Amino acid sequence: MSSSTKIIFSMRLKNLMTLVWIAGVVIALRLVDIQILRHDSYLQMAERNRTQIIYQTAPRGRVFTADGVAIASNAPAFSLYYLGAGKINPTYLNQMAADFAPHLNMPVAELVAKLTKIAASGKAAPLAENLSTKSTMALQELQLYYPGIYLVEETKRSYPYESLASHLLGYLGSMDEREWKKRDLQLGYRFNAKVGKNGIEKKFEKELKGRDGGIYLEVDYRGRVKSIIEDKKWAAGSDVYLTLNFAVQQAAEEGLRESLTGRGAAVALDPRTGAVLALASAPAYNPNNFVPYSDEEAPKNAKKINEYNLAIQGVYPPASTFKIITGAAALEDGNLDVNKKINCTGKYNSGPRVFKCWGTHGPVDFFEGMSNSCDVYFYTVASQIGAAAIERVERMFMFGRQTGIDLPGEKAGNLYGPTRRARNKTYWFVGDTLNLSIGQGELLVTPLKLAQFAAAIASRGNVYRPYYVDKIVSNQTGKTEQMGQPEILQHADLKPETYNTLFKALKYTVDKGTARRVKMEGLEVYGKTGTAQNPHGADHGWFLAFAGRPGEAPSIALAVFVEFGEGGSSAAGPVARKMLEAYFGRGKYAQGISKLSEEDYQELLPLGEEEHVVGD
Amino acid sequence: MLWGIKSIPSMGRSRLDYGLFIAMVGLVLLGALCIMSAVNSLSFTHAVVRTHLVALPVGAFAFFIGWSFNYQIYDEQWKALYGFILMLLVGVLLFGSYQRGSRSWFVLPFFSMQPSEICRVASILVAAAFLDRRGRRMRDTSSLIGVGFLLIPVFGLIMMQPDFSSVVVTFPAFLILLYCAGANIFYLGLIVVLAGVAGFFTISWTYIYLHPELMEYGMIRIFHALAYNGWYMVGFSILVTLLGYGAWWFFKQLRIFLPSFYFVLATLVVLAGLFGGIFVEHQMKPHQRKRVETFLAPKSDPKGAGYNVLQAQIAMGAGGLTGTGLFSGTQSRLGFVPERHTDFILAVVGEELGLWGTLLILGLYLLILWRIIAVAYMSSDRYGYLVCAGIFGMFFTYMMVNFGMLIGLVPVAGIPLPFISYGGSNLVSSLWALGVVQSVYARRIRA
Repeated sequence: MSSSTKIIFSMRLKNLMTLVWIAGVVIALRLVDIQILRHDSYLQMAERNRTQIIYQTAPRGRVFTADGVAIASNAPAFSLYYLGAGKINPTYLNQMAADFAPHLNMPVAELVAKLTKIAASGKAAPLAENLSTKSTMALQELQLYYPGIYLVEETKRSYPYESLASHLLGYLGSMDEREWKKRDLQLGYRFNAKVGKNGIEKKFEKELKGRDGGIYLEVDYRGRVKSIIEDKKWAAGSDVYLTLNFAVQQAAEEGLRESLTGRGAAVALDPRTGAVLALASAPAYNPNNFVPYSDEEAPKNAKKINEYNLAIQGVYPPASTFKIITGAAALEDGNLDVNKKINCTGKYNSGPRVFKCWGTHGPVDFFEGMSNSCDVYFYTVASQIGAAAIERVERMFMFGRQTGIDLPGEKAGNLYGPTRRARNKTYWFVGDTLNLSIGQGELLVTPLKLAQFAAAIASRGNVYRPYYVDKIVSNQTGKTEQMGQPEILQHADLKPETYNTLFKALKYTVDKGTARRVKMEGLEVYGKTGTAQNPHGADHGWFLAFAGRPGEAPSIALAVFVEFGEGGSSAAGPVARKMLEAYFGRGKYAQGISKLSEEDYQELLPLGEEEHVVGD
Repeated sequence: MLWGIKSIPSMGRSRLDYGLFIAMVGLVLLGALCIMSAVNSLSFTHAVVRTHLVALPVGAFAFFIGWSFNYQIYDEQWKALYGFILMLLVGVLLFGSYQRGSRSWFVLPFFSMQPSEICRVASILVAAAFLDRRGRRMRDTSSLIGVGFLLIPVFGLIMMQPDFSSVVVTFPAFLILLYCAGANIFYLGLIVVLAGVAGFFTISWTYIYLHPELMEYGMIRIFHALAYNGWYMVGFSILVTLLGYGAWWFFKQLRIFLPSFYFVLATLVVLAGLFGGIFVEHQMKPHQRKRVETFLAPKSDPKGAGYNVLQAQIAMGAGGLTGTGLFSGTQSRLGFVPERHTDFILAVVGEELGLWGTLLILGLYLLILWRIIAVAYMSSDRYGYLVCAGIFGMFFTYMMVNFGMLIGLVPVAGIPLPFISYGGSNLVSSLWALGVVQSVYARRIRA
């Protein structure tokens, strides 16, 4: 070869070698990219490729009342799966169908068709879902004879006491696609999984939801089952313990249901902590209606329910229960002689207008005025001390503000008073003072607010933030997470003598006055009734009470509201009495609370001993 | 010197290039393991393993033949070799067995062989011999045209089987051979451009074929009609040729002198497009059309051809650094990786041996390519140099297509990776080719 061609050749060879190196580096980098940097996502895809999962819904965490009654639990539900693989003899399928059909409520021919289809596809598929517990006994035995048949235990939410505390518990529902995508990223939700749609079910969705179990099957590229990789047990969600008192809650709901209109709310708080002992709103709904897994029924059920939580969303004038504030303001003022009598003639003249009392009480002192709820007495007192003094006390008890309970949609109500009016740049009239003194007019409260007020009086000024969740206990680790803590929002700094006098007056009201219905032997019960005038129809009934054992601080404070109940004592009184009886174990509650027994309903415990999949 | 090309002769008077030999043996052993692992769960495992175990000694024998024979014998007897190639290819068309849509196998009593594999290596030897004789006239167009005429019957016969992939991967090998032979880069560039245009037309035609809604455009419909009917085509080709000639004549009359070459080229480009249409219409199989589309838009068809590449990539990615171990890759064992013992065997390697496995194979390939270039540099004559260049081109293309397909760089071509993939004929002819390279090495310039 000549030297010139040789130079060309060696140069071209070098160029080629450079090309080889470049190609080598590019390929190597891309290999690193695929095999190292994207390893995790590809590994996940490979796993998803080869595994098929028969899911088993994990039991949601249970919801307990403070006295240990499970008000939301789980019931067992069974599904029958068939993992047909390989060559299947038609006579074998026919025999199998004949054996299983009676237990599945399915014609033999239909079952044969289903089995054949599944066998042909080679994929695991359900034969029947939501089977009754009765039929599972026979099926458990049958599956031993037929390999490939799996009886899978799942769980479904159950609320054994139906509508009890339904407004607190909320309910379950399906997700739409957007919601699912958002959730799926975090917790591995299946598309058909049910999630909490309201109340505790929604708020503690993350804690309540367990980890679903499943049978992991290895399949080939055509979906044929090759082997069973893993039979993973579900892990139950964490249990939520509420501060509710089961008996009081039940009594409240029963009372409201049996009240004149069946519409209303009842709230009981522990005045020492602010813990909610009962929070009932009527009408209630049965969250079990949402559990069935057929989604077609869900919208139908949704229309039937009453999600409106009257206890925190209904605002009404507090009526005569407000006289406690007026009285407190007058006592604080220092000029009120509680024994000085004021003559009630049934009406009160205020310039051109005449304000009426609901009765003619004659000469009444402070205690009689309170116990008879005499309007004239409080008109007189209020016009002496002025509306600003009343508003000051009103603000001490945080009227017109939310109670701060951890529930969505709570209404704040409305504060009423001259300062407030001034902010709106309108005038305050004498008539307004008189209206304010008896709790009518623009003043609005929710039943919960009034219960908080009752508790604040009972605890001599501590306005607690109400809470209803005590703790969350994990079923996996046994760890307890404390949730609700007593939290004083504000202290109503009235003189001790003021409280003493108020206690005396309210006790007198129970012993001798309008609140006689809650009088109970051996207990110190304090109470006040109220009848809110309703220009649109029948008046609303209020009942405010707190009570304790003699010599102890009051341990329960409650407010009962019956919409269109006409009279505070007649409509709301019986409900309040029931709740107090339930709390102190009196009357029909002396024998203890009426829990459901084991025979009444079947509960699936989160750490069941028995195998959840029987046979192989 | 760079890459140590010049330092090699210091290895003394050895008759065997150890680097090349070790890389080859390493690949063959690794390949045997990978094939056994890949076919482990297939129903025809035993047949594959048996065939491969037979092919190994035959391949060793072919290597020995290639190494011990003086490679110059192919130079002297190139016409006989050429005749042999044509005979084999015609023979397979006449007597071959028809399998999976193409007639490319001789089925003999004890084994089958695929003549196009042997012919690929043999035609490199023949083309090298032809170019060797061109000597100083290499830079003329006539050399290129000569090689073209030499190869058209070979490619044509392979296309008739039809084995489209085989032609596609052989073409770059000849380009590299021409490049090393010292062909004018300008002309080589033109060939590449022409091939590119032809390829572009083919791809466009495929696209049109798969998307009939585009036919609503008049021009496309006319071209489609042309491609469909051979006689229209002939007439149109003549018309285009005449127009080209007319244009040249017209410029000549205007006293504007342009090289006739440009007009020939323009004509050829137009014809390439038209023949691309014919090819797509009559020659391409549906799965090949799909492959082209998948390459154009990989996401368009996740369950089709793109699915295969994706599954192969999943397998590789799942392997990670160290892999799942031989015989235990789930992607391949459960059949998600298609053609796992042949075209996509690298995916199996990637899954079971991990990045180390794929890098090892890549490294051994780079070693082989480097050694072939080194041997080319050391060759004692021009023919040896050209033979090495051609064989280098062949292995380089194999490597690029196989790795490139997996990493999404080139479309799925369906060709095996020599030494690693299952395929007796391919193994034997590849070993023979490396034997020839060793023969060139054994007779190198004495340092």
